[in-house]
Amino acid sequence: MKRYILKRVGFAGISLVLLSVTIFLLVRLTGDPTVLLVEPGASQADMEAIRQQFGLDRPIWVQYGHFVSSLVRGDLGHSFYYRTPVLELYLSRLPSSLMLAAAAMAFSLVIGIPTGIIAAVRVNQWWDSAGKVFALLGLSLPSFWVGLLLILFFSVYLGWLPSSGSGTAAHLVMPAFALGWYFAAAHMRLTRSSMLDVLGSEYVKLARLKGLPEALVIGKHAFKNALIPVLTLAGINLVIMVNVAVVVETVFAWPGIGRLLYEGIAFRDFPVVQATVILNGAMVVVVSLLVDILYAVIDPRIRLAR
Amino acid sequence: MGLLRRRCLTMLPAASNAVRSTVAVTLAVLLAGLVGGPGRPAAAAGPEGQVTWAVHITLAPTWFDPAETAGIITPFMVLYAMHDALVKPMPGKPMAPSLAESWTQSKDGLTYDFVLRKNVRFHNGDPMTAEDVKYSFERYRGASAALLKGKVARVEVLDPHRVRFTLKQAWPDFLAFYATPATGAAWIVPKKYVEQVGEEGFKKAPVGAGPYKFVSFKPGVELTLEAHEQYWRKVPAVKTLVLRTIPDESTRLAALKLGEVDVAYSVTGPLAEELKRSAGLTLAPTYFTFTTWLVFSEQSDPKSPWHDRRVRLAANLAIDRAGINNAVYLGLSKLSHSFIPQGMEYFWAPPPYVFDPRRAKQLLAEAGYPNGFDAGDLTGDTIYGVAIGEPVANYLQQVGIRLRLRPMERVAFFKEYGEKKLRGVIFSGSGAPGNAPTRLEQYAVTGRRLSRRGRALHRAGQRDEPAGAPADPLQDAAAHPREGDVRAGDRARLPQRGGPASRGPRAGSHRQPRVLGAVRRRAPEEEVT
Repeated sequence: MKRYILKRVGFAGISLVLLSVTIFLLVRLTGDPTVLLVEPGASQADMEAIRQQFGLDRPIWVQYGHFVSSLVRGDLGHSFYYRTPVLELYLSRLPSSLMLAAAAMAFSLVIGIPTGIIAAVRVNQWWDSAGKVFALLGLSLPSFWVGLLLILFFSVYLGWLPSSGSGTAAHLVMPAFALGWYFAAAHMRLTRSSMLDVLGSEYVKLARLKGLPEALVIGKHAFKNALIPVLTLAGINLVIMVNVAVVVETVFAWPGIGRLLYEGIAFRDFPVVQATVILNGAMVVVVSLLVDILYAVIDPRIRLAR
Repeated sequence: MGLLRRRCLTMLPAASNAVRSTVAVTLAVLLAGLVGGPGRPAAAAGPEGQVTWAVHITLAPTWFDPAETAGIITPFMVLYAMHDALVKPMPGKPMAPSLAESWTQSKDGLTYDFVLRKNVRFHNGDPMTAEDVKYSFERYRGASAALLKGKVARVEVLDPHRVRFTLKQAWPDFLAFYATPATGAAWIVPKKYVEQVGEEGFKKAPVGAGPYKFVSFKPGVELTLEAHEQYWRKVPAVKTLVLRTIPDESTRLAALKLGEVDVAYSVTGPLAEELKRSAGLTLAPTYFTFTTWLVFSEQSDPKSPWHDRRVRLAANLAIDRAGINNAVYLGLSKLSHSFIPQGMEYFWAPPPYVFDPRRAKQLLAEAGYPNGFDAGDLTGDTIYGVAIGEPVANYLQQVGIRLRLRPMERVAFFKEYGEKKLRGVIFSGSGAPGNAPTRLEQYAVTGRRLSRRGRALHRAGQRDEPAGAPADPLQDAAAHPREGDVRAGDRARLPQRGGPASRGPRAGSHRQPRVLGAVRRRAPEEEVT
């Protein structure tokens, strides 16, 4: 087990190193950020001064060396745009992102799991069809459009919810729905298919043959087992939600990491993009690592097979 | 609070953040001029209420510090609120005395003496002195810092309220760079406080001499300011001013309709139409220093059709500027026939080109192109280059000048533009602050990064007069190459229009028109001066 964990940690470390190299090089392929930091007609001298200030005039390997040595010391650099430490920026946005992701996840589970169970129990009936339509819409409607419709309906027409911003629970409702619907649809589909698998299994048949009430069969025997893959997916999705909320955060002026990344890309703010991608990547890697280890703890066949 | 509620929208073309930002700043400046100004009496009842301002850009702490002004006008949105300058543009006055009551220039053009206003206090209570002026200049590291400092031999404190700048050589552009938003060097910060808190500390808790003092800043969310009751010009009428970032324009409109914000910037196209239809909301234009124009990159090539003056004139006559204005900007834009904004100092208004496609075709025929010609690409960036580039290409097509619209991502566009790799026609634009000479310096002087070959103009940096030469600003203005020279002489550029982003419209709205008068006198923008 110890060897298995060490091996997984090693792979995680390699993934992060590769990620840092990749993002460092990729952001530099997007062009010279000084163009966006000054007026288009700025003099060459002004542009050179900015390049010098941010170290962009140095050879790329020197820049990488500086980047890595700073990273090792926990220094993710200073933002070109904000001129403040990137880590400070990231940490100031992280709570908002986590709050939004948690609310969206809660919504997606509360909606997705019961809908998936009902669709599986009432397979090929009206409930199942309705669930499929719900999933199809959730997976195919662009979140920015959903967000704008929500604003129009609940803010402009009804006046029930604030149109944008953060600070209160009311501010969280619409962004959580807009972000969570897609994931609710995904959770619904997985719950449905997982439930169908379990409901067709031998032990469920046996439980029914024993004459157990259907609610007990579904609730106690089928649902608990069907839930395992759903919760695994939900864990990964929670991290993904933190990282992919760019559009929702922009529409609702929600001050999260997604918008920070978007701003970083828009302004070619290399340190912000690098730091955000690396920290988000680290989040995904760590969660995946924990899931791998948890699986190995639960099921010895996994660690033995690897 | 209710009476202070005011809702404004800016209608702009699709424009980059940078471009749109330009509007924001100028809005504050312009409205200040409409309703405020030196000598106005202070608000009798003192500051009260809150005004929330929805901005389309993300506010950055670097904008809280005049020393880091990047040559774009956006940071001045915050600078005008939090800080003050010795001299700065005010409505009707491109160089209005502010922290400096007056200034004099020596006959030999080598020294400038500024007399400082007495009893000016920073937000922390410290008095503003000549030491702060000297320190702010020496600390300045933003746009054109090297150029400006390279010309100044020394800055001397003559007494607590008098400061002298001595130049190495007479340089008529000194005030153009020092006393306009071309740089932020004349914006004064408190020396003692900056030295006490350090550079990072100053960004986190900036202190200035402007009408509003810093309260809090939440990155990506909002900046909260509070009235500085000791502000020398007047006591601000609004107690709390909040600049809130709302990046999506539909959301800004929704927030405005709901009364969540009182003023909003940058709402375009159909949303602006929707705004016009909304009861209680009013559109009102604002005009700032952004113009767009076409560059004929091949005009110096004798083999190119653009080499022929008649072809370039035909292109000018083929474009219906008023039509574009009505179609794209709801008719709110001011038309321009120069790439120098109309409000800039030393602006010269050239005679307008009248839309005349028949004459354009005739000119093309005279030039040997009766059936028109393939003119290659019309390259612009994906933001404003498309919004105006498309109708421009269509108008030129109608007289036979066939162009392919080629939108490019902004960074790639300016990279190729700067490296002189773009061929055909280039859709260019600028919102740089300053005056006519600084705009000419950037775009018309041969050898500059974005200028093209054509008639050589003197570089401003080379126009150093020998000591003893007259350096009167008016004489200097006459000595400057007029933009009309560029236009009529080499026609290197086709003054396209002062786009709404450029000479653009802004919208103001009022849910309570009955109290409009009161609101107007007490609106926040009069304090952002």
